[in-house]
This record gives sequence, C-alpha cells and structure tokens, in this order.
Amino acid sequence: MEKEQLKQQLKQQIVQFLNLTSIQPGDIKDDEPLFGEGLGLDSIDSIELIVLLSREYGVTIQDPKEGRKVLVDINTMADYIIAHKTK
Amino acid sequence: MYIHQHTCISAQETFENINLDIIHPPVGNKLVAKEPVYKGIPPGILRRMGKAVRMGAGAGLPIIENYRNINGIIIGTANGGMEDCIKFLNQIIDYEEGMLTPGNFVQSTPNAIAAQIGLMATNKGYNITHVHRGLSFENALLDAFMMLKTNPEASYLVGTVDEISAYNYNIDYLDGWYKSELHPGLSLYDTGSPGSIAGEGAAMFLVSSNRKNAIAQIRDIQTIHTTDHAVLKEMLREMLHKNALHTGDIDLLISGENGDIRLLPYYTEVTRIFNNTTAVVRYKHLSGEFPTSSAIATWLACGSSLPAHLFQSGYTGAAAKNIMIYNNYKGLQHSFILIGKSFGS
Repeated sequence: MEKEQLKQQLKQQIVQFLNLTSIQPGDIKDDEPLFGEGLGLDSIDSIELIVLLSREYGVTIQDPKEGRKVLVDINTMADYIIAHKTK
Repeated sequence: MYIHQHTCISAQETFENINLDIIHPPVGNKLVAKEPVYKGIPPGILRRMGKAVRMGAGAGLPIIENYRNINGIIIGTANGGMEDCIKFLNQIIDYEEGMLTPGNFVQSTPNAIAAQIGLMATNKGYNITHVHRGLSFENALLDAFMMLKTNPEASYLVGTVDEISAYNYNIDYLDGWYKSELHPGLSLYDTGSPGSIAGEGAAMFLVSSNRKNAIAQIRDIQTIHTTDHAVLKEMLREMLHKNALHTGDIDLLISGENGDIRLLPYYTEVTRIFNNTTAVVRYKHLSGEFPTSSAIATWLACGSSLPAHLFQSGYTGAAAKNIMIYNNYKGLQHSFILIGKSFGS
C-alpha cells in the first residue's frame, strides 16, 4: 500500500474507532496534531489508537516514550506503520 | 417524599418540547427513544457514551443544572449499557483475549450512568445504582425514601434508564416477551396475543422532603415477586389501608398493561378493585415495554394533565389528586406506586 493510500485509510479508521461523528476523514490534515489543539484526542483515545495499530497493522508500541513520537499526527503514524507493520 | 422536577427521554416527545398529542408508533416492533441534542454533555465525552449512558446523563444533567447542591444520585436500571457490554464481550472473543479497548468496557457497567452524571456534575455525594430487573426503579425510590428519612434536609436525583440492545431484544423475543408483528392500525391492547413491543427511555426526578413548591408526592411504594393473584390484591388493599385511603379515593390508575394476553388477568383484577370513579390510563403504547418503564408512568403522573386519548376509561378532564401506578414485569415482579398531587404547599 502506498503512503498516501495508507494515510487515507488511517483517517477513516481513526474516525470510525474513536466515533468522531462530527468529523469527516477528509477533514483531518496529515500534519494536524492528534492531541491537544488539533483533533483534541485524550489519553483514552491514545489507548484506542495503540490497539488500532496492533489489530489492523500488527504494529506494537510497548514503550510509552515511543508512543509519544508515533501518535503525533497522521504522517508520523503512517511512517511508523510502514517501518514496522507485520500485516 | 416530594418530587420537584422531572425529565423524560422516551420514544415520544417527552423532553423539552413536550407534546403527547402526537403518538409516534413503533418501528419494526420497537419504540426507539427520540434522543435530543445533548447540550450539557461535551462532545469529547458524548462520542464515547453508549445510548443508555447518553439518555441517562441527558435526562439527569438538566435537573442538576438547576439544583447544583443535590446530596446524591440514585439510579435504577435493569441492564445498563448492555449494547456496549456485548461489544466488549465480542471483542474478547474476536481478539482472543488480546488487546481490548477501554471505551466499551467503561460504558458497559450499569453504574456508568450514575457515575457519569456524578463526574460531569462534580457531585461527590451518594452515588448508587440499583439493578433489580423490573423493580429497579422502585428500589431506587425506596433507597431515596430511606436516605431522606436519615437526612431530611437532603435532596437526591433519582431516575432510571434502560435501552433496547440487540442482545436483550433478541433474547426476550425468543423467550416470547415481544410480539412477532404489530399490525398497523391495531391497538397494542387489542392483539389478544402473547408478548408486547420493546421500548427504552430514561426518566429522572429531583426528590426531597420539602413539600414547598413540589409537583407531586410519592406517598408509598410496594413491590412483590409473586404469581398469586390473591396475594397481589391483598397487598394493594393493605397499601390503601395503610395510607388511610379507600379504593374510591384513587382518582387515577396508571396501568402498565402491555398487550401481553398472559399478563392481562393481573391488570384486569387490579383494575376491578377500583370502582367507576377511578379513571384508567395506559402508557405502554407510548413507551414500549422495558424493565424500568414504571418511571415513565411516574413521569406521566407528575404532569399537570394527560390527554384524553391515553384514558382507557373515566376521563373527566379534572386533575387527579391520588394516583396509583401498577406495573407488572414478566408476570412476576409487581409494583404499586402511590402518588399524591394534593398536599398543600
């Protein structure tokens, strides 16, 4: 899967997994922060995202410090998936 | 115990712009709740809520907004967030007890409703949930009664929530508690067949010992598990005697008759105890059948007037002073709630 295609898929999955009913996948920018001022996700969402990466792409994040670098925006998530995916 | 404010989310127009002149019929044999726009719940929290938690918080928070200093939250629910519970259990199977997300689990426990209301209202008082199937609401009321005896100056949010989930609907349908089909144009009460129609909703009440400006008084609650008609009738007679009332003093009987031919003899016998001066209202065609539907009847009793079309008999247009609610869940769990509307202020 190409990176651009992966990013679109990720956006759809984030909207679906986190039940972001007021947001369309296309509304999420690639470099928009997932937490804080951007999408406004919180700590429970971070667990949901870690589970999403594991279930859908076989990517495991075990070190919380690593998680903070991966779950920054769509770009960082896509880069990490491409580098580590097992599915 | 006095009721000072009441809210209701149901399959009808019972929240904010109340209009009982329009009846929304069941769709696919279910009376699904008309959920409002939940103004008081932040979007980030709302998106994680299951329907039961949404309805409960949505109905409860407007009351707490007006009464910030309540001393506790007492909720009755038979099933709580069953839909989320099943999602979580399915995840355990689908992902072989591996990585599970917390959202569905957090929302699935019955006490999530009272807990969420408490968290959002930053209420650190008494917070409890009663889960006694068809008597959950009545036991929540009894709890409030006892709490007010201990703390006469206190006030509590008391209420109920139950949702239609695929799980409980399918199980109850297979067990014969819902009709396979309700023919359009045929009244729920004239089908002559077993089963009812499924319903869901939430009703919340602010209660205290203060009669000033109250809208209704809950005078007494009696519950029993029985299949014996004679025991049931005797309990009702004793309840009236205990409250120094005769059958003729009850202006209005709100009957939980639900169109299930198997339960009809109970409702018929209770109705026969009262004489012609007691009007009879039925409400399950509005709410559908669910374990805590007697809270909808209590909400109706709190209203200033009921439309004529709800009356099975005895409509006069006059406001009732003494109201008896009788509900029967699955032929085993019976409850009587005595409500007074004439107590001075």
